[in-house]
Amino acid sequence: MSRNLRKPWPPSSIAQRAGYDAIELRGKGDLHFAARLDELKQAGKDGVVMPTVCVDMLHFFGAFDADLRRDAIDQMKSQLTVIAEIGGLGAQTPASYGMFSRRLPPFEPPRTEEEDREVLLAGLSELGEHARKEGVTLFLEPLNRYEDHMVNRLEQAAELIRQIGLDSIRIGIDSYHMNIEESDPAAAILAHADVIGHAQVSDSNRFQPGAGHLDWPAWLGALHTIGYDGYLAAECRLTGDPIEAVRSIPAFLQRSGA
Amino acid sequence: MSSLLDWPAPTATAALTLRRGAARVLIDNRAGISTVPSRTLYPHQWSWDSAFIAIGLRHLSVRRAQQELESLLAGQWADGRIPHIVFNPAVPHDAYFPSPDFWQSSRAGRAAGAPTAPETSGIVQPPVHALAAWLVHQADPRESRRRGFLARAYPRLAAWHDYLLTRRDLGGGGLAAVVHPWEPGMDNSPCWDQALQRIEPAAPAAFQRADLNHGHPSDRPTDLDYGRYVRLATDYREADYDDRALRHGFAMEDPCFNALLIVSERALAAMAHNLGLDDTPHIRRADELTQQLVARLWDDDAGLFRVLDLNTHSLVAERSVTGLIPLVVPGLPHGIVQRLQESLGGPHFKAASTGLVPSYDLTGHAFDSQRYWRGPAWFNTAWLIYRGLRTHRLKTDAERLRQGFLAEAERSQFAEYVDPATGAGRGARHFSWTAALALDLLCADLKEPMP
Repeated sequence: MSRNLRKPWPPSSIAQRAGYDAIELRGKGDLHFAARLDELKQAGKDGVVMPTVCVDMLHFFGAFDADLRRDAIDQMKSQLTVIAEIGGLGAQTPASYGMFSRRLPPFEPPRTEEEDREVLLAGLSELGEHARKEGVTLFLEPLNRYEDHMVNRLEQAAELIRQIGLDSIRIGIDSYHMNIEESDPAAAILAHADVIGHAQVSDSNRFQPGAGHLDWPAWLGALHTIGYDGYLAAECRLTGDPIEAVRSIPAFLQRSGA
Repeated sequence: MSSLLDWPAPTATAALTLRRGAARVLIDNRAGISTVPSRTLYPHQWSWDSAFIAIGLRHLSVRRAQQELESLLAGQWADGRIPHIVFNPAVPHDAYFPSPDFWQSSRAGRAAGAPTAPETSGIVQPPVHALAAWLVHQADPRESRRRGFLARAYPRLAAWHDYLLTRRDLGGGGLAAVVHPWEPGMDNSPCWDQALQRIEPAAPAAFQRADLNHGHPSDRPTDLDYGRYVRLATDYREADYDDRALRHGFAMEDPCFNALLIVSERALAAMAHNLGLDDTPHIRRADELTQQLVARLWDDDAGLFRVLDLNTHSLVAERSVTGLIPLVVPGLPHGIVQRLQESLGGPHFKAASTGLVPSYDLTGHAFDSQRYWRGPAWFNTAWLIYRGLRTHRLKTDAERLRQGFLAEAERSQFAEYVDPATGAGRGARHFSWTAALALDLLCADLKEPMP
């Protein structure tokens, strides 16, 4: 499933020796990611493959607060620009994270669903347009119901993306969230095949693939059937010896049909 | 989607495109933890369909393949029978006839040990399940052991065979009999015509067919035949599905049904061995069944096996694909294997343009290239004959059939069945077992040991 290595890695790299083709970067706020541009370019010259960045902040483009929303959009635009400059594919973000859950008190968010939708469409349009200009893609990640109250399932992300109609916005799926939210994760992948652009993997318990009880052959088999040829980015916590855990992932995914 | 095989990558190899399409059919047709044969025509779980589906699913997800069989076995009756339909309670009763309120399994089947839930039919289908379970196990023995798959499936499958070899040995000769044309799985075959003539049809007002809502009338059984099907099922139900209480108006020994019983009995032996249990009773039973199959059903003049009508004690003078499927039995006498190979290549069954095997004699008086089991070629029978050819090391013929299977499955969008001469798809499209068995032909390890 993962692409072949395009450049040789430093031979000492644990990731390379474990069978990884690339690294997904984390993008902090306060333009921290942009501040690393020289360092990232140097890493690229050294052969590190860095196709994607996943946002690592505490506010997002779907924030209730208008100022935080504005800042999140500015940060994401900067991250899209940086990932374009280092020859990557795109940047991943959820609508929000840890801001509100309809499953936890006080249960009713301060914004109506219609207002949420307006905010999401406005933010996605601006980010999608920026990604298009930069020649990269914004990956919208549905999160489970306890982490976000707006975009939990692929169909919700797909609906927003189809409404906006920009090829530069795609879904970044995550096996862990899908396991909680989709009644049939494999069927959801097929149903929204045309708008899936990126994939993150972690098991049912948020640990590394193989440490939980997901039906990996079915999930990976569904990605195969839609002709997905992108990366599988491990976004997970580790259980057991951390080095061994990191090493186990590529081999496990390959055994499971990747 | 307009065409299943048009996306995602027209540049991919034909085999990859077909594999992706087959996997998509299986993912699309999954409903809960089992798979419907077709989203349009068959909205519940069917017995032998699920066995064939599991054989393909094992290449997509071993867990799904195990669940497919486990879900079917959850509908098993205490007398051992595996019903031919396990109904999905979420589907309205009028979506399929006969529906749960016709079979009334939880009430009429109580004495025979029908479960209180789910609702099921009261008749059975060919016993291909143990073969399927063994193949599913072999696909990933470690996952199988982790889930205790064989340990849970084996006693249920053994009880299923016990039922067939005791309650259903209606002829007393050691073979299992079918008591309804739906049981051998080849519902409308000319093999049943004469026996059905003796059955008084149920009045048309007594039932409302649902198969014609989606199926084309010219493909499906006639109303008169359907009335006879209903009569037989009603009589069985009114006898509380007790095989000892009822003198079955329809009782036949079918070659395909019994051949699959033999192959599955050998699979039970392999399972018993794997579980550290005694496998000799299964091996002995398979050997005895093979002898009885040859002694009772082989017609040396015709060069194929015949259906035996237990009410007239005579072989039915029709050539049907059911008579070729015993090729799948290992240890068949060499002379019989040779005759079957000749029959497959002869005027009665050689459909040159597709390479598939018609369900009925191409030169027969009742041949109809479109009507259900009266001529069209099915993919599950082709898969079984392919397996038989390989069992007897007829590799060239096997490979030719495999190529024909894959070409027609692709061309017909995984049709339920095809016109044997033209390959034109008939019945449902995106049919689960066609996709599953295509996946098996594309993915199975050719060195996989036979049970």
